[in-house]
Amino acid sequence: MTIDLEKQLRDALRPAAPPEGFAERIAARIEAVRLRRRRPSPLFLWAPAALAASLVLGLAALHQWELRREQQQGLQARRELIEALRVTGEKLDLAYRGVSDASRPANPDDAGT
Amino acid sequence: MKVRPRIPVLVLASLALLPVARAADGQLTLPDFKELEGKASESVNITLDSSLIALATRFLDAGKPNDAAVRQAIGGVRGIYVRNFTFDTNFAYPKEEVDQVRKQLSLPDWQPLVHVHSQKDHNDVDIYVCIEQGKASGLAIIASEPRQFTIVNIVGSIDLQKLHALEGSFGIPKVSLEDKK
Repeated sequence: MTIDLEKQLRDALRPAAPPEGFAERIAARIEAVRLRRRRPSPLFLWAPAALAASLVLGLAALHQWELRREQQQGLQARRELIEALRVTGEKLDLAYRGVSDASRPANPDDAGT
Repeated sequence: MKVRPRIPVLVLASLALLPVARAADGQLTLPDFKELEGKASESVNITLDSSLIALATRFLDAGKPNDAAVRQAIGGVRGIYVRNFTFDTNFAYPKEEVDQVRKQLSLPDWQPLVHVHSQKDHNDVDIYVCIEQGKASGLAIIASEPRQFTIVNIVGSIDLQKLHALEGSFGIPKVSLEDKK
């Protein structure tokens, strides 16, 4: 009885060769787990791209706004320049009229005599 | 140690010279005329320094004859300052502020070019030119009319002939160089 039990135990505990490809499967599993751990979550994958896109869009919007502001300022400056020249011309005209009035003889009938 | 008290004196001296220095480059120190703005029925307050003139020039189309003429007329201009007030009643503007500007024109650099006084219309127009090293570096026009008061200060050189070429364009009136018959 004792011998039988001993034999059964020896049989059960006898080293057995692993099935074919066991080591490769284990290695592949370990590698898969390692890769899964290393791969960032989709959020981390998209965040920099979204950030970069927002930055580019922001810069483009800023550039557009700057261009529009510059155009508005330029058109305003142009309007003011024309207005300034108009006022200048008007006052020069007033002076020239005054000068010509002063140089004109008081009585036009006396001019020819 | 003895040098220290001189520094504020030097600073004060240079500050005192500032209006003269500004006048020398053809630019007048214009009062802000805030009070007048409130009284006037219409007011034009234009301040164009060299950078704004450069910006305005970029918006003048060289292909259009009128714009090209403006470009030519303001080629040597570094600043344009216009204060123009229109009132509903006669002589509603204080003479003191006008005199304050006139005082600056008594500096040796400013030469009177034209003085027109019309008894009939109660108009006074003074045109001064700032001469610096034999070259005109500024123009000042002070026109007092019963219901309008105008100061124009152009810094730099403006070609009046080229300004004359703008007559009729952009609402610039025709300058009567000859007697109107």
